[in-house]
Amino acid sequence: MEREQIHKMLRDMLRARAFEERAAEEYSKGNFTGFLHLYPGEEAVAVGVIHAAEPSDYIVTTYREHVHALVRGTPSKAIMAELFGRRDGVCKGMGGSMHLFDAERRFMGGYAIVGETYPIAIGVGYAVMLRKLPEAVICFFGDGAVNQGTFHESLNMAALWRLPVLFVCENNHYQIGTEIHRHSAVTDVYKRAAAYNIPAEKINGMDVLTVNRTTQRLLKQIRSGGGPYLLELETYRFRGHSMADPGTYRPAVEVHSFTTQDPISIAAHEIELNYPTTDQIAEVGPDCITLLTQHAQEKGQLIEQELALMKDDIAKEIDAAVDFALQSPQPTLEECLDDFNINQRTEILI
Amino acid sequence: MKYEITLPVLSDTMTTGRLARWLKRPGDKINKGEAIAEIESDKAIMEMEAFHSGYLAEPLAPTDTDIPVGQIIGYIVDEQEAATAQTHSETSPESSAEPETTKPEMAKPEATEPKIETPEAITTPAEPISTEQKSPSVSGVTSPEPKTIPPVHGKRIASPHARALALKLGVDLSHVPPGKDGRILAEDVLAVAHQAPTLNLEAGPPFRLEPLTLMQKAIANNMIATLSTPTFRTTAQISLEAIKQSAEQQQISLTLLLAIACAKTIKAHPQFNAVYTPEGMAYRDRVDVGIAVDVPGGLVTPVIRDVAERSMDELAEDWRTLKDKIKQQRLTQQEYEGATFYLSNLGVFPIVYSFDALVPLGAAAILAIGAEHNGRCSFTLSCDHRVVSGADSARFLTSLQEQLNAN
Amino acid sequence: MREEKNYWQALNLALDMAMAEDSSVFILGEDVGLYGGTYRVTEGLYAKYGEERVRDTPISENSFTGLGVGAAMVGMRPVVEIMTINFALLALDAIINMAAKIPFMSGGQYTIPLVVRMPGGVAKQLAAQHSQRLEHTLMNVPGLRIAVPSTPQDAYWQLRQAINSNDPIIFLEHELLYFTKGILDSSIEPLPIHRAQVRRKGKHLTIISYSRHVLLCLQAAEQLAKQGIDAEVIDLRSLKPIDWDTCAQSLQHTHRLLVVEEDCQFAGSGAEIVTHLTERCFFELDEAPIRVAGRDIPTPFNAQLEAASIPQVADIIAAAQRFRYPS
Repeated sequence: MEREQIHKMLRDMLRARAFEERAAEEYSKGNFTGFLHLYPGEEAVAVGVIHAAEPSDYIVTTYREHVHALVRGTPSKAIMAELFGRRDGVCKGMGGSMHLFDAERRFMGGYAIVGETYPIAIGVGYAVMLRKLPEAVICFFGDGAVNQGTFHESLNMAALWRLPVLFVCENNHYQIGTEIHRHSAVTDVYKRAAAYNIPAEKINGMDVLTVNRTTQRLLKQIRSGGGPYLLELETYRFRGHSMADPGTYRPAVEVHSFTTQDPISIAAHEIELNYPTTDQIAEVGPDCITLLTQHAQEKGQLIEQELALMKDDIAKEIDAAVDFALQSPQPTLEECLDDFNINQRTEILI
Repeated sequence: MKYEITLPVLSDTMTTGRLARWLKRPGDKINKGEAIAEIESDKAIMEMEAFHSGYLAEPLAPTDTDIPVGQIIGYIVDEQEAATAQTHSETSPESSAEPETTKPEMAKPEATEPKIETPEAITTPAEPISTEQKSPSVSGVTSPEPKTIPPVHGKRIASPHARALALKLGVDLSHVPPGKDGRILAEDVLAVAHQAPTLNLEAGPPFRLEPLTLMQKAIANNMIATLSTPTFRTTAQISLEAIKQSAEQQQISLTLLLAIACAKTIKAHPQFNAVYTPEGMAYRDRVDVGIAVDVPGGLVTPVIRDVAERSMDELAEDWRTLKDKIKQQRLTQQEYEGATFYLSNLGVFPIVYSFDALVPLGAAAILAIGAEHNGRCSFTLSCDHRVVSGADSARFLTSLQEQLNAN
Repeated sequence: MREEKNYWQALNLALDMAMAEDSSVFILGEDVGLYGGTYRVTEGLYAKYGEERVRDTPISENSFTGLGVGAAMVGMRPVVEIMTINFALLALDAIINMAAKIPFMSGGQYTIPLVVRMPGGVAKQLAAQHSQRLEHTLMNVPGLRIAVPSTPQDAYWQLRQAINSNDPIIFLEHELLYFTKGILDSSIEPLPIHRAQVRRKGKHLTIISYSRHVLLCLQAAEQLAKQGIDAEVIDLRSLKPIDWDTCAQSLQHTHRLLVVEEDCQFAGSGAEIVTHLTERCFFELDEAPIRVAGRDIPTPFNAQLEAASIPQVADIIAAAQRFRYPS
């Protein structure tokens, strides 16, 4: 892969990590409250997939979506200001952490009800189909969302009408605190797609290069009328479900195993027990950023100074984003109502 | 013997009537021809006379409910004992359906007397029964039915609209008599507002209070209703010489000739046949002249219809019939309502030089004629200024003078 | 065009015209295509516009309604038919969490030009699960607009207006109205979609209703007139927003308010109507307002009890008679 491409992805993964860690810090300072779902650990998914998308493709995501917006191109300051609930936030402070929308970038929103991304995605896909355009819709969801009725309803319709949708499962093994073996009879999400005649595969979601290459291939196929596809990405979140979640339901050794730099072994998850054994965990779980950094360095595509410069730039960007958010005014109720009644500017209702 | 009392037919359009109040109570002696109840038809409140002598007997229909004409509303029996020994077996469905509204009138006297357990009292539920029980066939849900609220001493239950009006019109709510339901609504406040300021009779000599007759009530209401009309008056001196001669020669009533002259003048000035309504000016295509007639205990205004177009003979016949009916006190509501123009003539009292009259609702003007002085009479036209102006009235009187001289 | 039409034909014509004029309009729902719609509303459109624009869906209310939301976000004008309002309970996430909130949560970046049509109300012996009225639920959702046409003329124009609007609009159609007839005149300039209409002028009391019960109120008013009670009947035509001005103007000359709704009384639409008008017109009221509403029970299957569970003409008359009127 091109050196430039690798640098772009690495930079976005580092930005994502830095942004989320800073968000956690600002949250802890009390600069905003509410629910805050962070992404560290899963960066290879958003970065790998979204770097494969064209500007004309659509993205529908869940409530753990700061990074998706960031990678899609929404300025970090607009996202941070939105987390702060300020007027200059990407949604003017009306959506918040879980509801980032960016129409200009075809970023169709973060949805906070599990299972809502599928109907939105097939709806956008239906419009694309009617207009006969070479566009694809990327629909993110977690492993916990596949037991929601809309998964089955929407996959059925997507298959029936061959809608241009790439269903991307971010399988981080937990629906909040319930491990996948305790919430799903079939723990391989990709296998479920067979019920709707939708082709599917599972790949390592910690390896951004594989994620990116696979997604590029699938999107191309979808844009040219190949119909829907389901891609399962195995990944892991280092933090709890949200800021309010200490993550005590996960054995410390398991969390540790994913943050070590050992090479990944998908086989470790193919077990009947709820949790991996100590031996198996030893083989599991690299940090996706470390993995890519190592890869680039080994191939001679990245030198220390470049990495340091990159981290420096990113630190400045995130500082600036926080400053921007702090300085942005609070939205007024009038502005809020004005946006709410946006159509009443042009329509006579009564 | 036991005679049924049925709800009388009081007008041609009447299909239901509302029993305003019983003037007698069960067991009271009744003479044939005596008024026993007041019935509110679609047009007026009228007294209902008894067609038999005897004693009023239960069950009696409830007041303030609409009752189809012809329905039995009570009984007259020969013996007093029978009057109060009636059971509820013959109670009409309506009266049993609404026990709490049956006799608000009777509740008051009972309250001051020792309570007697009559058979009726036993069969009447002590508490108002719920909507569901009352009418099993009635479906849906309605808001809880407001109970008949007894007037609480010292405290007035008035509707918000009534309170707002009272404030606006400067009416003291404690001076407003509540309706039969014990509540003060807007109409009750308006009635007081349109009255003269409350009289303090106690400050004067001892007095006796005679209830108003229906005619007195009707006149009072009609006159109060004219207060909101912005009125102006124009007076002219006109000779009646020609028309008097004409009346004598043709043996025709002078009043009728005056009415005809007015009607013909109106034909040339149609705005005097109009009436103001908030929705628009109503122009009527027939001139009906109401004539004020003095009668014992008040006045009536018999109406001669289509005065401008019909023949003299027909009009004369109508006028004779109306006068006969007035004498026999048989003038019906249809015969004294709906005039488009009014005439009031006090010329028979030589001392009256000039006077003016109130424009009744429904008309644009009324003409008041005084006695002859120096060969001329004073003609005062009171006009609704929303309909006509001063110059209109001057032109009208000028035309009328020409009309009278042409006779 | 001016001719007598059934209510369903008026809706059918509105859909046909809208689809002919605008290629972004498409229909989806259960049996709307080949079958022609269970109440015939989409009859003939599948043949005319093809299966992509008149889409028969699987029985997946939440997802196909959500599909409508997604398509609307990118500029389509979907008309979703939910076979009966009772199934809309399964689509409430799409309606309440998505359609009603996306425009707001996105800070006004997305509009949702979506129409969700729902036949509903108490029809004939469809039993409790198929006889619901959910207007109270939907009225309480900021971001939705609700049209409740009672005549073919309104059905036609309000549906045209709803399709043209950029807000999500819930279109409530009473099942017993589909085969009612009325003059449809497409040349008459339509009222704004949410304007109420005085169906009968009167001076003694104001009866406010909507959808099928407007027809019952008009029947009641004719009978009341024979008793000397002159009722003004207002057809709200819309439950969200509500044209309060028209209602308040009426109360200013009648001073008496009667609200008639088929929905259950407790916390129903009538509760909002009475409360709002009492707040606004308190000093105009000469009597406590009365609500005539459905009973707070699931609809019984038995035909007599079914009829007894919702307001009938006699109930409206009886309620109007409870007021004292100026003599």
